[in-house]
Amino acid sequence: MSDRKSKALEQHQKDWEEECLGPSLASKPERKDRFVTDIGLETARVYTPLDLEQIGFDYGENVGFPGAYPFTRGITPTMYRAEPWVIRAYSGFGDPVTCNERYKRLVECGADEIVMAIDLPTQVGYDSDHLMARGEVGKVGVAIDTLRDMEILFEGIPLNKLKRVSMLGNSFSPIALSLFIALGEKQGLSPSDFVVDLQNDILKEYIARGTYIFPIRPSVRVTADTIGYCAKHARHWYPSTLCANHINAAGAGSTKAAAFALSNGLCYMRHLLERGYAIDEIAPLFSMFLDERADFFVAICHCRAMRRVWAKVMKERMGARDPASMTLKITAYSHGRETMLEPENNIVRITLAALAYVLGGVQFLYNASYDEVLGTPKGEAAKIAVRTQQILAHEMGITHTVDPLGGSYFIETLTSQIEKQILQEIDKVEGMGGAIAAIENGYYLSAITEGAIRRQREFDRGERVAVGVTKFRTETQMPSGAFRIDPAMEQKQVERLAQVRKERNGEKVRKTLEEVREVAQGEGNLVPPVLEAVRAYASIGEICDVLRQVYGEYQAKEYISSAGHKG
Amino acid sequence: MKRKRRVLIGKVGLDGHEVGARVVAKALADAGMEVIYTGLRQTPEMIARTAIEEGVDLIGISILSGSHMTLLPEILKILNRYKADDIPLIAGGIIPADDIPVLKQLGVKEIFPPDTPTAEIVDVVEKLIASR
Repeated sequence: MSDRKSKALEQHQKDWEEECLGPSLASKPERKDRFVTDIGLETARVYTPLDLEQIGFDYGENVGFPGAYPFTRGITPTMYRAEPWVIRAYSGFGDPVTCNERYKRLVECGADEIVMAIDLPTQVGYDSDHLMARGEVGKVGVAIDTLRDMEILFEGIPLNKLKRVSMLGNSFSPIALSLFIALGEKQGLSPSDFVVDLQNDILKEYIARGTYIFPIRPSVRVTADTIGYCAKHARHWYPSTLCANHINAAGAGSTKAAAFALSNGLCYMRHLLERGYAIDEIAPLFSMFLDERADFFVAICHCRAMRRVWAKVMKERMGARDPASMTLKITAYSHGRETMLEPENNIVRITLAALAYVLGGVQFLYNASYDEVLGTPKGEAAKIAVRTQQILAHEMGITHTVDPLGGSYFIETLTSQIEKQILQEIDKVEGMGGAIAAIENGYYLSAITEGAIRRQREFDRGERVAVGVTKFRTETQMPSGAFRIDPAMEQKQVERLAQVRKERNGEKVRKTLEEVREVAQGEGNLVPPVLEAVRAYASIGEICDVLRQVYGEYQAKEYISSAGHKG
Repeated sequence: MKRKRRVLIGKVGLDGHEVGARVVAKALADAGMEVIYTGLRQTPEMIARTAIEEGVDLIGISILSGSHMTLLPEILKILNRYKADDIPLIAGGIIPADDIPVLKQLGVKEIFPPDTPTAEIVDVVEKLIASR
């Protein structure tokens, strides 16, 4: 804007404030003194070109065109005009037999990707017959012990019919990867025929989610082995999704969560660089799982800002030269505001969250089921989660133009503000010595805990509105009739595992497990020996036991708090 | 001098979601109680033992993994076996409405769903301890 034009606009604004705004505020004050977002940024009454001028906004440099650096508007030139995002369905409960039925129905109604929710014993490397697994088998996800369970789970669902297939596999990613490779073989497919997607981001488990097994440093190596293996053998796979979601959910706020997640990613990348990989060989294999649930517009701008941050960090700090290394592929999960009272309202909340992520230009999206807050989703609810995305993708023109909100004074100002916050936070973690240091010195956890306490205070003061719960409440009874997992299922799964142990070649299992041990003690990549063990029907628990013997187990420090003393 | 009220906040089973437990621990500490937080992955046995060894006045369990119908009754059983069933047990987390009367029947004193104001939890804890 020319100086003359900007002066004129300033005058215009002053006149408006005096003649129009002033009297309006006098007769009808605003509902609050300040409108503050969860990330601490204040939302202004109205945004104009003057705001952009104030932040030194430059269209070419800050925004540019989709598919070109710094990728603010999107990672491809045509975005959803060519192909909508991948519609993921996150699902899993009970044993593989029951769960297979659910998967078939989800694929039937058009889910592009099955994301296996696996139960807690599986996530922390215990077989279903382990003492610690009691009462937990098949509860928060499906129970998986061996390759046999995968065969049953994907019976009638060829992996190449899906756009991607996924499991979290945060603590034991070489096993997760191997289970998919071996399952593909059983279905007559080679890795080039299908696409595997893993979360495989262990560092956030130590601060936000708790499904760790081994101490931090060996865990980084286990994580990196999977990424390194894919870099050589399956470059079209997604071996690591840097996960801001759980860090935000735990309390950090979306900006810090994204910065921590990226810092965690830099830790894996540097580990791989030290082992001889080139940055352009590994960076394109990473993606990020972003999350902002408190504010619709922050969610949109968060995605735009994070693409720019990623592009800059990869190019300027990590020395990437391939544009593929600079394009951030984003996964998002539409959830986080659901209430137990009047759960049907959650359909609306989830839809709005999904719309924000779509306007933010994500690649992979999954919706919560509206009844998930009550327990395992019912079939009908899981279907609505898929249908909601299909409606967004194919009705009402939402996907017809790329980055439809780009250029808005508000959106561009907010995007730049968020970008600045994220970069500052990354610098802070880098200044401490990176992600591992920030875990060990307690910085991550204190940021999370402070945020969680702040959110709870806001909730207690009635500032965090949940319609039908904290405001306009009419119901007093929690809904009943939650979906139940058959309690006999646990025993059936234990018997299935016993059957596999009886039928497999025990000698071969022992031999392959010994090879896993040897490689774990040395410098090699864990995936090849783990794949051999998985092929021989070694169980997840057995493989993890070998690794536990080599690496030990992570012991979290006990936390004791009392008035006047915070441990 | 009157002994400070002591509370054990625990995570039982494999559930790793700690936010609720930490926030409640902080609220109770702010209300003047001494709070012992167990950290993750405790067995019912470990919870009961810690509670007895530390001489707490109340046990609060956070559980979001759906295994409450196995693990909470197990804690009660072990407390009973150690003749420590006078220590009140409360729980919070994702617990379906249908399970609440069953658990209360078994001896769980109170169950807090998500979205419970912390003041309400502090209030109930104080009353339970006072009525011991």
